[in-house]
Amino acid sequence: MLAFSPYISSFIDQIIVSIPYFKPELTLIITFIGTIIASLFVDKYWDKASFTFTIAGLLLSGCYLLGQGLSHVEMVGFFDMIHIDTFATSARVIILLSTLLIVIFIQQRHQHDRPLGDLYAVVLTATLGLNLLTMSSNWLMIFIAVETVSISSYIMVGYFSSTKVQSEAAMKYVLFGSICAAVMLYGLSLLYGFTGNLNFDTPSHIAGLMEAPKLMISIALLFLLTGIGFKLSFFPFHVWSPDVYQGAPTVITTYLATVPKIAVVVLLSKLLAAWLAVSFYFSDFLAYVIIIIAIATMLIGNLAALRQQDAKRMMAYSSIGHTGILLMAVLVYQNNESNVLLFYLSIYALMNIAVFIFINNLEVSLGSTSIDSYKGLGKQSPILFTSFSIVLIALIGLPPTAGFVGKLLIFSKVFEQYQNFQSFGLLALLIVGALTSVISLFYYFKIPLNAFLRDNVDHYSVKSNPLLLGIGLFCTIAVILLGLFPDILLSLF
Amino acid sequence: MPILSLLIFLPLLATAFILALPTRYKSSYKYIALAFTAVQFVLAGICYVKFDASQTGVQDLAGYQFVEQIPWIRLDLGSIGKLEIDYLIGIDGISMPLLLLSAFVMLMAIGASWNIQKSPKGYFALLMVLNMAVMGIFCALDFFLFYLFYEVMLLPLYFLIGIWGGARREYAAIKFFLYTLFGSVFMLLIIVGLYFSVINPVTGAHTFNMIYMMNPQNYLGDSIFAWDGYQEILGISARLIGFVVLFFAFAIKVPIVPLHTWLPDAHVEAPTPVSIILAGILLKIGGYGIIRICYSIFPDMAALSNWWLGLIGVISIIYGALNALTQKDLKRMIAYSSVSHMGFVLLGIASLTAEGVSGAMFQMISHGFLSAALFFLVGVVYDRVHDRNIYSFRGLAQLMPKYTGYVAVAFFASLGLPGFSAFIGEAFVIIGSFNAASVGTGLPRWMALAGSIGILLSAAYLLWTLQRMFFGEIRLKGGESWANELTDVNSREQLILFPTLALALLLGIMPSLVFSNLNASVLNLVSFIQQFI
Repeated sequence: MLAFSPYISSFIDQIIVSIPYFKPELTLIITFIGTIIASLFVDKYWDKASFTFTIAGLLLSGCYLLGQGLSHVEMVGFFDMIHIDTFATSARVIILLSTLLIVIFIQQRHQHDRPLGDLYAVVLTATLGLNLLTMSSNWLMIFIAVETVSISSYIMVGYFSSTKVQSEAAMKYVLFGSICAAVMLYGLSLLYGFTGNLNFDTPSHIAGLMEAPKLMISIALLFLLTGIGFKLSFFPFHVWSPDVYQGAPTVITTYLATVPKIAVVVLLSKLLAAWLAVSFYFSDFLAYVIIIIAIATMLIGNLAALRQQDAKRMMAYSSIGHTGILLMAVLVYQNNESNVLLFYLSIYALMNIAVFIFINNLEVSLGSTSIDSYKGLGKQSPILFTSFSIVLIALIGLPPTAGFVGKLLIFSKVFEQYQNFQSFGLLALLIVGALTSVISLFYYFKIPLNAFLRDNVDHYSVKSNPLLLGIGLFCTIAVILLGLFPDILLSLF
Repeated sequence: MPILSLLIFLPLLATAFILALPTRYKSSYKYIALAFTAVQFVLAGICYVKFDASQTGVQDLAGYQFVEQIPWIRLDLGSIGKLEIDYLIGIDGISMPLLLLSAFVMLMAIGASWNIQKSPKGYFALLMVLNMAVMGIFCALDFFLFYLFYEVMLLPLYFLIGIWGGARREYAAIKFFLYTLFGSVFMLLIIVGLYFSVINPVTGAHTFNMIYMMNPQNYLGDSIFAWDGYQEILGISARLIGFVVLFFAFAIKVPIVPLHTWLPDAHVEAPTPVSIILAGILLKIGGYGIIRICYSIFPDMAALSNWWLGLIGVISIIYGALNALTQKDLKRMIAYSSVSHMGFVLLGIASLTAEGVSGAMFQMISHGFLSAALFFLVGVVYDRVHDRNIYSFRGLAQLMPKYTGYVAVAFFASLGLPGFSAFIGEAFVIIGSFNAASVGTGLPRWMALAGSIGILLSAAYLLWTLQRMFFGEIRLKGGESWANELTDVNSREQLILFPTLALALLLGIMPSLVFSNLNASVLNLVSFIQQFI
């Protein structure tokens, strides 16, 4: 203790200097506490108190983020623990906006279920963790952030569980998640052993990786990918996601399928940009592993989706397939050129939120998420199913939607790298990426097929929540508009 | 006046109108669609009249007419360069006749859908979106824009076949969609490759402009599709791969044997108007794509591989005709006859002679409205008794004399009787492929010979059908009730059939109406490619 005392004042100085950088996250923390207090004491008198407080906190945090984004300054704070650049800021804005939509989604859908204050609080902590993930390059910080997100997600999945399937989903998620986290931690400790340094983008860290024994570094990297793979649900760590996506309430599935991926993709692309810049055994190994994983993920996600009869389960496999596409983009990410990646992430968030809102809308009316139950409904609710079909077309990646532009930009990036390095792996990625979008047509089109091409036997009536349907329509229109004029969004990043 | 933009986007306005009108006015949808398509036809007619036939087009933007160019997407994307996408449209002698044909066939299709009962709102809205996409494809000179229209075309077609089609419509719709998409996603990869290879000489940015892609000087030296540098993908020349992938993407649409199997299914299941559009316009997009894109962007590879293209054409001619001989379903027979007749287009294009390419273009136009007429004629019987089996009918000539007259004229016109348009097209293709050996483009004479056997076979299946269905004693599967329902063609049907068949005769007698307009472009294209032989 005494040895530290001369430094204490400089430590405190550093912390005080860093605090302004941390305003968006501090706001989230304060909102978290405030939401809990509101749900305990105020909700009794005004049942929207915790909801309003959450929304206000998210908006305020967004304001600070905008301030950071407009200043365009790179900020380093808390002893290199956080590192804020425009990439991180843009990603956090996407995370925040998606979270905002999903919080409204939760409120609209579950206002009559058990008290929601705690759920809002948990969503806020998850968002906090994700924010940290985007702006940290320190393994310790990253692990803490991953765990914050994981623990919050475990609670979210089990929050409404009333049936056996839902409890099973939550349990599976916890078990799988903890094991993956433990393995990742072991991998991190190996990395620390090799390098004696926890910041993955520092020269000494990379120098340590270069000198590490081949077998050990391979194992360490694979262990590290286990944790990241769990969060991104890429092959072979995708097995949990169909069960969890199907078992969890749709609002939670929306969150899990969309928001965590944004943050982890940002982290992974920063990591790969730092490590793949050098050409040594560890970086080549990592690149090949990622290529293989991306190809396998695209194939498995899309092929397994073919056989699904349940819309939510199908979307789980579809999101595995999209993870493969994202991995392609991550692999060719270069520092300071984040616009393609950010464009795809925002489009992905828009499409996913819209699809799940539509699925949920039908789930509430029909009591089922099976695709068969959509039979002949296209005629009864033409607006809903037309927008639904448009979003699915965007997920396939067909023009004139933004999904097409996103895919085109990613393919362009990969192609440019292929032209530079003539690596067969990149060519294989392109071919598999193109092929799987043909495969994906098959299962995405099951929904319009049932809705429009088949006739209705039972007569359900689809009741829509106007606010949610409005959000869904807004996303749909945005998807088309950004498909025709992608520069609206791309010029922002 | 931006005449081409009007031509493309008028149907979109019609869609908006149709969607905005409440369902209780549903009888007015077809009038809206008809009115807009008629205006479109007039606009296309103005294009035809004002067209300057001496302009060359193809690889020279100055030779295009009615050009509109608006910067559309401009983005700086760092390492992948500045994104430069233009809204660039224009027509030359190759696209202008097809544009007019599309407007004409669309008009026929609207006429054929007059009695649609099942949700007319969605039907006409989708038809108009399809109309827009088709017009856009023939006008687009920017590859991004072309691809956009090309894919947008698939969606309304899927629903048109899938919702208003026959018993196996789900299967036919998804099969059609998958076949085309399979070709086009790989086309997308080639587009990306071309984008990185080509530089706009004015701005120095990468570009999707097709015209720049046709000029060897715009290619970067070390790029994947570079002309001088010999780039390889897995040991095969990159330019050859690019050509082959693009060729197959369009050949699926033509369609060529063995990638044709979607066509009979789609035709049999599609409602009559959609069959008309499929045969009349969509197959031509395949031929158009090969000329406009494969041949013009990869002329060196076109010169290299035309023997194989000719072979594929000959196989399609013979195989399609033999298949048509054995069909029992009248619509299926005509679908296979389309495969056979479109084989001539491929053979003509492969000959790389002015006669052959002009013949291919002419064959596309002629087949466009003749096959549309044939499908319409099938629709006439099918509307009345919901049966298309050739053996269900006999002696129709006594029941429906006028109808038999139209069928006979249409059959004779399609089998290439001199005096009708198909004769001109097929004759020019055969002359072109026969001359190819003396010009030295590498197409052997036996291919021309095999093509003429195709004409013989088409006479066999068409005349045999005529004999089986229309002559002899009246014998109907449905007995008396059918005899009552099989009334002769009404005035609406005659209003559609008469101009179509008159056009076949007119173009058969005065082929210069088409030839004079496409001649300059075709000569330019042929000399552009022949320098690489």
